[in-house]
Amino acid sequence: MLEVRDLEVAYGDLQVVWGVSFDVPERSIVAVIGPNGAGKTTTLRAIMSLLPVRGGTVSFRGKPISGLLTHQIVEQGLVMIPEERATFAGMTVGQNLELGAYAKRARPHRDETMDEVLAIFPRLAERRKQLAGTLSGGERQMLAIGKALMARPELLILDEPSLGLAPVVVEATFETIRSIRERGVSVLMVEQHVEMTLEVVDHAYILETGRVVGDGSSDELRHDRRILDAYLSM
Amino acid sequence: MQLVIQSAISGLLIGGMYGLIALGLALAFGVLKVLNVAHGELVMLGGYVTFFLVAVVGLDPFLSMPLVFVATFGVGVLLYLVLFRFVVRFDIDTRIKNSLLISFGLVLILQALAVTFFTADERAIITDYSTAALTFESIRVPFIRLAGLLVAVALSVGLQQLLDRTTFGHAIKATSEDWALASLAGIDIRRVYLVAFAISAGLAGVAGTLIALGFSVSPSIGLGWTLKALIVVVLAGLGSIRGLIVAGMLLGLAEGLASVWLGGAYREIVALGAFLLVLLVRPQGLFGRRE
Repeated sequence: MLEVRDLEVAYGDLQVVWGVSFDVPERSIVAVIGPNGAGKTTTLRAIMSLLPVRGGTVSFRGKPISGLLTHQIVEQGLVMIPEERATFAGMTVGQNLELGAYAKRARPHRDETMDEVLAIFPRLAERRKQLAGTLSGGERQMLAIGKALMARPELLILDEPSLGLAPVVVEATFETIRSIRERGVSVLMVEQHVEMTLEVVDHAYILETGRVVGDGSSDELRHDRRILDAYLSM
Repeated sequence: MQLVIQSAISGLLIGGMYGLIALGLALAFGVLKVLNVAHGELVMLGGYVTFFLVAVVGLDPFLSMPLVFVATFGVGVLLYLVLFRFVVRFDIDTRIKNSLLISFGLVLILQALAVTFFTADERAIITDYSTAALTFESIRVPFIRLAGLLVAVALSVGLQQLLDRTTFGHAIKATSEDWALASLAGIDIRRVYLVAFAISAGLAGVAGTLIALGFSVSPSIGLGWTLKALIVVVLAGLGSIRGLIVAGMLLGLAEGLASVWLGGAYREIVALGAFLLVLLVRPQGLFGRRE
């Protein structure tokens, strides 16, 4: 569904992503794991055209998307939740959700999608008139996911969904990610919580200093010595 | 006492103009993160467009306002496409610096063009009702300036409604809060930037009409109004549209009272003093939200 081939990304002269390739098949959950500064976020931002791509290609459903602008990529059905600050703090929960359906592909279905999203997250319905900036961390996470679902994604990209959240909330988030896939949405996520991530995903790629150094199904990786040593030693 | 009241009223009325000019300046700054110091030159341009619509076409100045809005909106579109489009590609800190350089250049160009095409003469629009005023005892409230204040209030309410009530308004607010997150929501931020900048220019144009009517126009009036509007933006704080007109009127009031009590020379000092005081005591502005 999503094919990333030989992706190269740089900030000015500083190249941080070197020839990264990976695939997200239809109806799957794929993770890119790796330590801080490995280029995970940079890779996602480049896929969404928030950063210029220096080389390589990104295609979605066989069509190249590398040259498109961010909102045009969203129109194709790729929706990303950035890490932190993923909601508009100065706007209400309801306005945030409505903005989630701003894309042309989603706007005609706004009201029905809203009902679906509020059914998944009843808490958001209670908080509808409240400013997003006043929500708790967990509620803000629900809003970020709800807002992304409002765009009717075919592929949902999450950048470190567990960042800064309490363990209970992280667990709930991962549970939500599973249920999103059951609705036919594919998921690409970047994570540092390797142990938990491997419980949810089908396949994971390991990114280190801007290069893919390994990949495998979650079962394989769970028994991979390198992974055990590097990430699961705690 | 009457002199004090008269100065206070004049101050409040001119303050409405400060507020209206600040409205456009704050819109461009809030959404595009560009500081357009040539905003006053757009006011000047609006003044001349009005002057010619009145003098040549024979239109009533108040009726000319929609046309002036459209004309300066168009100038805004042009300036965005030719200049500011390139500025908004940078990160936010760079945008402010680059926009200052570009818009200072624009100030010089627009002033020179205005001298060439309109001459350096000071012009004012005279109508049948130019001298009409509401009088209480010996206190005069000139009709034109009062109408100007009402127009300023109406435009600020209109802009607030646009931002609060329409989907595109929400897109403008979202872009102003976080452009990357806005584009991830499927918003074409280039279009938001274009429209916000053009509205900003259109508001400056209408302010120009009111200034040509209630005050006067010459090619060099721009920077003075820009400076006042900048002070008002800081006084009000970002994110407060209603606060801009109120802050403008407060600034006008302070200037008016200062000129009676301390003498005309102190007007500007009071304005800058108020600016510094607010920055010291309440850096988020009188009506702004604390970040």
